[in-house]
Amino acid sequence: MSTLTASTRRPLFPRGPGLGLKALVLCLLALGVILADARTQALTPLRDGLAWLLRPVLWVAGLPSALAGTAEHLQTRESLIEENAVLRENQLLLQSRLQTLEALEMENRRLRELLASSAQLEERVLIAEILSASQDPYRQQIVLNKGTHDGVYKGQALVDAHGVLGQVVAVHPATSVALLLTDPNHGIPVEINRTGLQTIALGRGDGTSLLLPYLPGTADVGVGDLLVSSALGGRFPAGYPVGTITEVKHDPGEHFMEALAAPAARLNRGRQALLVWSESFAVEPPPAATTPAMPEAVP
Amino acid sequence: MNGAPRLLIAVTLAAALVLQLVELPYALAVLRPMFVPMVLVYWAMVVPQPTGLVTAWITGLLLDVLLGSVLGQHALGLTVLVFVTLQLRGILSLYPIWQEALALTPIFAVYTFLMFWIDGATGHRADPWLQWVPLLTTGPCWPLAFGLLNSLHRRGEHDPLAL
Repeated sequence: MSTLTASTRRPLFPRGPGLGLKALVLCLLALGVILADARTQALTPLRDGLAWLLRPVLWVAGLPSALAGTAEHLQTRESLIEENAVLRENQLLLQSRLQTLEALEMENRRLRELLASSAQLEERVLIAEILSASQDPYRQQIVLNKGTHDGVYKGQALVDAHGVLGQVVAVHPATSVALLLTDPNHGIPVEINRTGLQTIALGRGDGTSLLLPYLPGTADVGVGDLLVSSALGGRFPAGYPVGTITEVKHDPGEHFMEALAAPAARLNRGRQALLVWSESFAVEPPPAATTPAMPEAVP
Repeated sequence: MNGAPRLLIAVTLAAALVLQLVELPYALAVLRPMFVPMVLVYWAMVVPQPTGLVTAWITGLLLDVLLGSVLGQHALGLTVLVFVTLQLRGILSLYPIWQEALALTPIFAVYTFLMFWIDGATGHRADPWLQWVPLLTTGPCWPLAFGLLNSLHRRGEHDPLAL
């Protein structure tokens, strides 16, 4: 090609021993890093450091959704007044409900004290901003703006206004990474609110549903049943809504029945989440589990 | 100009990292083209130097941190991608641009397969089909990305090349 005059000084085909050797060395190095990161915790400081360096990238990547958020501020006065009225009404309603709840909570506490039970009703919580979400469609994680400085620990439960969101899987000094309920690697112990049946809800990876694969064939489960978190496994605080059953499948030839559930939390639709401290973790350090929680199955 | 326009390479790679991370609705996020591999392949084609491998490795490590995958996963994939591109560069640059896009698709498929394989080997249960969807969009996006990067690159140089 005669048009390549300007670049003739550059090697057109950079073969020779340099290239292949370099590629081999880099590939072996990458394999070594993969092994080291998958098997040990040795590379955590490197990951923390790089995450700290890359905060501007995360910030820029978050700008479009932040701008979309500010566009919402430019609403008309009327719609704001309207919204305000609705919110006031809602608040009144919730306030009245809260009064009865407080009475119930007191009653519950007295009864529990009578039973000498150590169950906690109030948990310590912290509001965290979601810095970025679902960067990868098949890896459902969010990054939060709270880290070890704020006392966040690995395995901590994360909820939003509607239900359980997921749990923290990696903690950096100023940020932390949380795995959402719907990630295929995530499992959460749940209780069916109507019957008290304990089971496990696994993520399906599609971002919108959970799978309950280990239901006994005779289990009393129906569409619309509410799932609440269970304290079995010691990771999640009990009693938060997890989802509602949307479909029950029972193949007559199978021992187990399967059910699908829709998560209660608004996954990927909020900017804030609540980190919840469970009492069992505040006392003892969290177990150094390498895999996200897959608590023991409880029949 | 001696060798690579380092600043431009760094800026385009940073932009690709941001594009890889920008929040999209779920249906669109699945179709997101592989921005970082496209930019690396462009620079491997236009500035064929062994240092491209190191650039790819470091970019891969940064992508691992940003995506929360096992450290080294994207570093390995992108190094292999750039190596293959450097090897086949002589053949690829002879094609018209749309055939080049077609010919690059198997190379991107090798990269996707590596990602898929390391996910499996490190025990991350990914959706086996969704991972391959970006391949469908990366090919059609290649002429666009090539044109854009080429115009940025040529603006900085005084000797316009007709590749």
